Amino acid sequence: MKKMIILSASPKKGEPSVSNLLSQTAKDHISGKDIEVDIIDVRKSLTSKDCTPAFEAMKDADAMLIVFPLYFFCMPGMLTRYLEDYAHYIGAQGLPQKIYTIVNCGFPEPDINEEAIRVIQSFSRRIGASFRFGVGFGSGGMIMGAKDAPFMKKAMQTLNDAFDLMAKDMNDMQLPPLKNVYIKVSFPRRLYYFGGNFGWRKLAKQNGLKKGDLYRKPYQAES
Amino acid sequence: MKAYILSDKDYMTDAYSRLLSQVKNHLLHFDIEEKQIGRGDIAFCKGCFGCWVKKPGECVISDDMANINRAMMNSDVVFFLSPIVFGQFSANMKYAIDRWLPNMLPFFELRKDGSTMHPRRYESYPKQIMIGYGEHLSPEDAQLFTDITQKHRSNVTMLIDDGTEDQIENALGHIALKRIAGGAL
Repeated sequence: MKKMIILSASPKKGEPSVSNLLSQTAKDHISGKDIEVDIIDVRKSLTSKDCTPAFEAMKDADAMLIVFPLYFFCMPGMLTRYLEDYAHYIGAQGLPQKIYTIVNCGFPEPDINEEAIRVIQSFSRRIGASFRFGVGFGSGGMIMGAKDAPFMKKAMQTLNDAFDLMAKDMNDMQLPPLKNVYIKVSFPRRLYYFGGNFGWRKLAKQNGLKKGDLYRKPYQAES
Repeated sequence: MKAYILSDKDYMTDAYSRLLSQVKNHLLHFDIEEKQIGRGDIAFCKGCFGCWVKKPGECVISDDMANINRAMMNSDVVFFLSPIVFGQFSANMKYAIDRWLPNMLPFFELRKDGSTMHPRRYESYPKQIMIGYGEHLSPEDAQLFTDITQKHRSNVTMLIDDGTEDQIENALGHIALKRIAGGAL
């Protein structure tokens, strides 16, 4: 049986995350297709005393799926550190391994994730693995609160199709190069902005802040 | 005029030394503050958004990043000397770059090119110049390093070290090293 390791790379601690949800959804979907799937929580592994057990599992897998949120148009620092350490750990050996990625972003435009997908492609080259394709997901937060809503149906179907393609690609050596998949949630952008902006104000209020506090300028030019 | 130079303590190569020298040669009339970040010096951004909804404008993590952000925001120009790893910033540099987030507001706004962005928090920002360096850089990684920032951020100039003595100094001669009114990015 083929083995896939999912790197779930949300830096969040003690709260739900889109990347963790996407990782679990991928595991549930791909596990039933003659593939053994395990998830490594990157934050827990990186902050543990020893990454070696995780790095060995990653090295031995037939495929890795790297799931992370977009931070400043590329990988979060935490995942950058982890993959730098992993590349150093395995050295220059080429791995007969397939690499996939899912990048999610809070902005509605899924193609903003393109460069982050290319970063995983570069990482794959560095470790001698074979990058196959990536998924860029826009409006990532919607998958947390509304994944069963009617307007999410097409996005979730496209995501499930991408999982099917990963499983098929893992089991079939003959598939040609694959194209990245960009998933845009079918939801009015103006309404998305309104909901998001309302949400920030609500969170601030819950923390005892007034509306004007959100605009503080603590580093206002001192000169 | 103030300049701030941020770099990676773990990649102090010959190329880095040459670049730092070139940059400083160009900043003769500036007060220069330098900071090198090493492993363990600052924490990674945990995506908690506390800098937006708990302590607006400041990261809730207590470490040196508050001093770095304050110094950067009060400079006229900020240089990021970054090793290029997997076509992006090295981990140490990315830890600092991610934690620039407090300097923006949380809300969504639509830019002229049709993309979404977070609005500025301040009236003006330092000019940001990012210089990437590395040995045996592939053309793909060099292009990716540029694209990551140049495709999405308008207040940042990207330069890639080509290994020659005067390339960076020549390039800097064409850039206005002063604060910019407008976007945080």
